[in-house]
Amino acid sequence: MEDNLNIVGKRVVRSDSLAKVTGRARYTADLKMPNMLVAKVLRSPHPHAKILAIDLDGARKVPGVKAAISGFDGSGIKWGVFRYTQDHAMLPTDKVRYIGEDVAAVAAVDEETALEALSRIRVDYEPLPSVFDPLEAMREGAPIIHEQYKNNINIHVHIDVGDVDKAMESAFLVREDTFKAAGEAYAMMEPYAVVASFQNGFLDLWMPNAGPHVRAKALANLLKMPLNKVRVRHINSGGAFGGRSEVAPADLVASLLSIKADRPVKLVLSREENATSSRQIHDMSATIKTAMSKDGTIVAKDLRAIYDGGAYSSTGPIATSVPFYVYEECYRFPNIRYNGYRIITNKGIRGMYGCHGRAFLAGNEAQMDLMAKELGLDPVEIRLKNGLRAGEMTATKSRITSCGLQETIETTARKTDFQKRWAKPQKLEGIGMGCVAIMCGFPMGFRSGSSCYLKINDDGYVTLVTGVVDNGQGNESMVIQAASEILGVPMEDINLVNADTEITNLDPGAYSQAAAFVSTNAVKIACEKARKQIVAIAAEKLAVSETDIALKNRLVYSVANPEKKMPIAWVVREAFARAEPVVATGTFFPDIDLEREWISRPWGQMAGTFSYATSVAEIAVDSETGMITMPRFTAAHDCGRAINPMAVEGQIEGSVQQAGVAAITEGNLWDGGHLLNPDLLEYKVPLACDMPEIDAIIVESGDPVGPFGAKEGGIAIRMNAYSAVACALTNATGVLFKEMPLTPDKVLEMVEKATEEKG
Amino acid sequence: MILPGFEYRKATSVADAIALYNDFEGKARYLAGGTDLMPLLKYRLAAPAAIIDLKGIEELKAIAAIDGWLTIGANVTLFELKNHPVVKEYFPLLYQSLDATSCETLQMRATIGGNLLQDTRCIEYNKSLEWRAARGFCLKMGGKCCNVVPHSRVCLSNYCSDNALSLVALSAEADLAEAGGEKTAGLEKIYTGSGSKPFVVEPGTLLTRIRIPLEKSKGVYEKLRVRNSIDYPLAAVAVAMKKSVARVCVGGVGPAPLVYELAGTDEGTLRDAANSASTDARAVPNAILSPAYRKKMVGVLFRRAVQKVLREGA
Amino acid sequence: METVKVAFTVNNEETVLQVSPNETLLETLRERLDLTGAKESCGIGSCGACTVEVNGLPLRSCIVLTSEMQGADITTVEGLNREGKLHPLQQTFMEEGAVQCGFCTSGMIMTAKTLLDKNNQPTQKEIIKTISSNVCRCTGYKKIVKAVGEASKKTA
Ligand SMILES: Cc1cc2nc3c(=O)[nH]c(=O)nc-3n(C[C@H](O)[C@H](O)[C@H](O)COP(=O)(O)OP(=O)(O)OC[C@H]3O[C@@H](n4cnc5c(N)ncnc54)[C@H](O)[C@@H]3O)c2cc1C
Ligand code: FES
Ligand code: FES
Repeated sequence: MEDNLNIVGKRVVRSDSLAKVTGRARYTADLKMPNMLVAKVLRSPHPHAKILAIDLDGARKVPGVKAAISGFDGSGIKWGVFRYTQDHAMLPTDKVRYIGEDVAAVAAVDEETALEALSRIRVDYEPLPSVFDPLEAMREGAPIIHEQYKNNINIHVHIDVGDVDKAMESAFLVREDTFKAAGEAYAMMEPYAVVASFQNGFLDLWMPNAGPHVRAKALANLLKMPLNKVRVRHINSGGAFGGRSEVAPADLVASLLSIKADRPVKLVLSREENATSSRQIHDMSATIKTAMSKDGTIVAKDLRAIYDGGAYSSTGPIATSVPFYVYEECYRFPNIRYNGYRIITNKGIRGMYGCHGRAFLAGNEAQMDLMAKELGLDPVEIRLKNGLRAGEMTATKSRITSCGLQETIETTARKTDFQKRWAKPQKLEGIGMGCVAIMCGFPMGFRSGSSCYLKINDDGYVTLVTGVVDNGQGNESMVIQAASEILGVPMEDINLVNADTEITNLDPGAYSQAAAFVSTNAVKIACEKARKQIVAIAAEKLAVSETDIALKNRLVYSVANPEKKMPIAWVVREAFARAEPVVATGTFFPDIDLEREWISRPWGQMAGTFSYATSVAEIAVDSETGMITMPRFTAAHDCGRAINPMAVEGQIEGSVQQAGVAAITEGNLWDGGHLLNPDLLEYKVPLACDMPEIDAIIVESGDPVGPFGAKEGGIAIRMNAYSAVACALTNATGVLFKEMPLTPDKVLEMVEKATEEKG
Repeated sequence: MILPGFEYRKATSVADAIALYNDFEGKARYLAGGTDLMPLLKYRLAAPAAIIDLKGIEELKAIAAIDGWLTIGANVTLFELKNHPVVKEYFPLLYQSLDATSCETLQMRATIGGNLLQDTRCIEYNKSLEWRAARGFCLKMGGKCCNVVPHSRVCLSNYCSDNALSLVALSAEADLAEAGGEKTAGLEKIYTGSGSKPFVVEPGTLLTRIRIPLEKSKGVYEKLRVRNSIDYPLAAVAVAMKKSVARVCVGGVGPAPLVYELAGTDEGTLRDAANSASTDARAVPNAILSPAYRKKMVGVLFRRAVQKVLREGA
Repeated sequence: METVKVAFTVNNEETVLQVSPNETLLETLRERLDLTGAKESCGIGSCGACTVEVNGLPLRSCIVLTSEMQGADITTVEGLNREGKLHPLQQTFMEEGAVQCGFCTSGMIMTAKTLLDKNNQPTQKEIIKTISSNVCRCTGYKKIVKAVGEASKKTA
């Protein structure tokens, strides 16, 4: 790795933080425009019902109402990420499929008028039988929610490598368990909001999103408009975590209203609507059968996962596959079978999540510990033995180029005295470890790459134009920091123009862990080109060789003779005079197998690289109440290289909260199709007082292709923190968890079961 | 989320407040800190024609230790009360329950009067109008059946005041002002036991003061909650011990706190008392943890709290 | 509805408004006074994103009426940096990386400010207790706690 770096690797103040601490940062709901209207949505009170008629006349007659729409005002096109998942009209005309589904909407001069108008809309429904449990939904005779999905099976991902059955037969130790987990709420602090402004045939949109380009594309399709007339613009985002990745019904609603009213429209969801009607996370169950040889080598896995997909496809195949992949990218599996089913039910729409798949991943990890124990091994040994290493291939044929898994395991184990403490747990105290790997970028066809444009102005200040988007994780600051490093100008000299589809080129967005590896690489390439141009001119002017030139503090200088120097601005002006202004583009496209497909061809190189991480949780269980307390959490993340270590630590700490402590507190609760905790009171986002001490450790394996060696720094702990907690609980009680979250009622049952087993 | 329409009036005295209430023919609500009332209004769980702000009534803001009582004005905030030297010295139990109430920011706004008269709660009730309309109106909303226990004719929504439990355990009394004059009631007497209408007090009655007998006591407050701040109790037990008599109050489960006098403190008596408290607890699936668990926890917290008090005594 | 006349100070500026009785302080600040630093996240008092300082105390502005604000002295996050100088909390929130998406930030800073104003040497435990009034979805709170501690050193 290059180590003579000036800014990359330093704990720099993020470029976006000044606006945020002064209250000046604008979020969608903060926007105000002349003539702007307020929108409100009428939602389905039924989990499943035929729409017989929608009558908007009453609403239109309310003074102050400027537009009223339903799905009948739309194009009739249905959205889906894949051709085979196009099932979501966003505003249905045939039937409603969940409580809270968008049915009609109005735009009015103020909120009171809009609410009054909603009450005048008449919708005639014919209620249909509904189904909420995926296992019931799969049974013959269950109500069918979409005609095209037989037995409500939306997606079936089938992967079969090696000969699982044969390996199972001859294995020394075989075990099968089933785990469940409630879906979570993204609970981003910013409730969803959209501002749509239609003028002269152009539609401008602002909304928190994790990928402006994919959003604009989906809306352009739904509205039958060309891409260059649907412009998704830059705005701050109050958290995404996977929940702002896909086009949302509210986007279509606000767009149609603005087009109809010919005025800007603002739609802000309430906290409750954000939960019931933006997106949720899949409830799931996983049945895990594992075979080991006597020495603890995993010889076979037979895995079956069922995801409650809610009413529509969303990113269906991706959501159904990702938990499997982050697992197979971590361990060596000669024989492995995965059957992932995503089932349609009459519940709210679901999406990917930064902590997606906890029943599957925590289940695998906790079961492995029990099996290891039976073989006289401990969690550290079993993970080191089965963990993948650089140079190896995953079961589905992705090559691992850089891998810090071993180091993350060893470091966390050493720092927590893991093996000793695991071997002799105090009564009802436990320590547990969870590992995972993360692909830096999903295969998204031609959208897998990013492209950046940069110019250096005649005063030496830089303008950087990229599609990269920031949902709070610090992506904007990251690309500025990278550019600052290469161009030798301070971060504050760089103006970032980003996440605006009319100005910036394609970018995969911030939801496939691609911002560091892909988008920053594109920025780096563009900056290096510009640098090269500067170096050439400066070498000539300073009469030194190009290899002797360095850029720092807005200056170009000779390394051998630092007295020889000139401002970068001079070089830039010289370049203008030579009719070769310093402008550059940079494009990075990861080395992935473009033939790979989630269902039809689930093999080949998945991503350009993979990050690795290990979490260790230490817990104590109250034997009478089942309450878990967690004094300490240790997490090590191989992010390749931390561009801003403070930001990576922040991601790790946030992950401990959102996946680790959340494993105890968070889960959606349902009464049929009614979401019982669509708020921030009964849905338990952990508070400061609920947090353990955290030791956030950064491991830098230095990826050969990543920019400055970077891979991703935002998600790996999010995908294993819950495993560490589940494993610690197994260590404390001797039994496996059945269902997440590990609320005290469930834990008390485990404690009682453990006591019974001990007799 | 916007509030429904209503008039705003600020009362200057107790009499003024009651007169204003009558001016609006009873279609008014008193407002203290608003931390209970405002969320109810936002969810359209109340639709008063007027809000009568009590914060201008000076006499409701006083705390005084006189004549063998600690007298607390209804508008004293939880935070002020918590930090009052007499509370710390005489009523550690009350200190603990105040400290365990929601979070600091809300304690600084919330009043003790409002805390005692807060509405009962249910996971199928404290929701927006749209949510409840989709679910169907329950007993507490004037509907025909309970949404939690399908055939139940009584509403078992939970009374979640933390401090009522301490105050009941400390044998506190409430001074109530009505158009006709003032009266005093033992705090434990103000509950109906029905979640549909939790309080016996007539509408328009103003709670003016809470009085606690000024005797030093030992006490422990045990609260079951998922997060250690902000959260309402899922079950809670308050124990006040004066001389060797323990008064225990159980709440957070069902529409009214239940009070127990402990005849003795030996292991057997305690076990029996804890068991019967657990049996009495009317837990139904109206909170985020299972009813069986909450019921069981009543017994566990009961025993724990008493044992803790006893240990402190030793 | 009869409108109500209210006079109060916001960020040192005298303000007189005629408001609807059902207008919340958060609405007044955001919609009328263009002070959008305070955010609406839950709207029912359970998260603290809307916290502003009123008469020295933190207040969840989504559940108070502007009508109640007669004579009040209100400070919002926009009023913290005076004469171009950041408040120590604003500075340390930046330096310690206590800000991610930023949606909870102004509420957090205002809550912490009311703590430091009356207790300029809080213990870590006291800081944690105070900021446990507010929800942050991004940070895990560690850097927020650190930032408040560092700011207390600067204000001491
Ligand atoms: C997020 C959140 C968490 C909470 N957590 C808890 C908790 O853990 N424990 C807990 O106990 N409470 C909790 N609460 C509830 C509430 O904050 C407290 O109960 C608070 O003490 C209520 O006081 P207030 O002054 O704000 O009451 P208000 O909302 O002003 O009033 C409450 C009710 O009492 C009536 N009222 C008020 N004063 C009088 C009076 N003097 N005479 C007659 N009627 C009166 C009002 O009309 C209203 O019906 C929580 C609230 C929120 C928003
Ligand atoms: S928005 Fe006011 S407390 Fe959540
Ligand atoms: S920084 Fe995002 S909610 Fe706190």
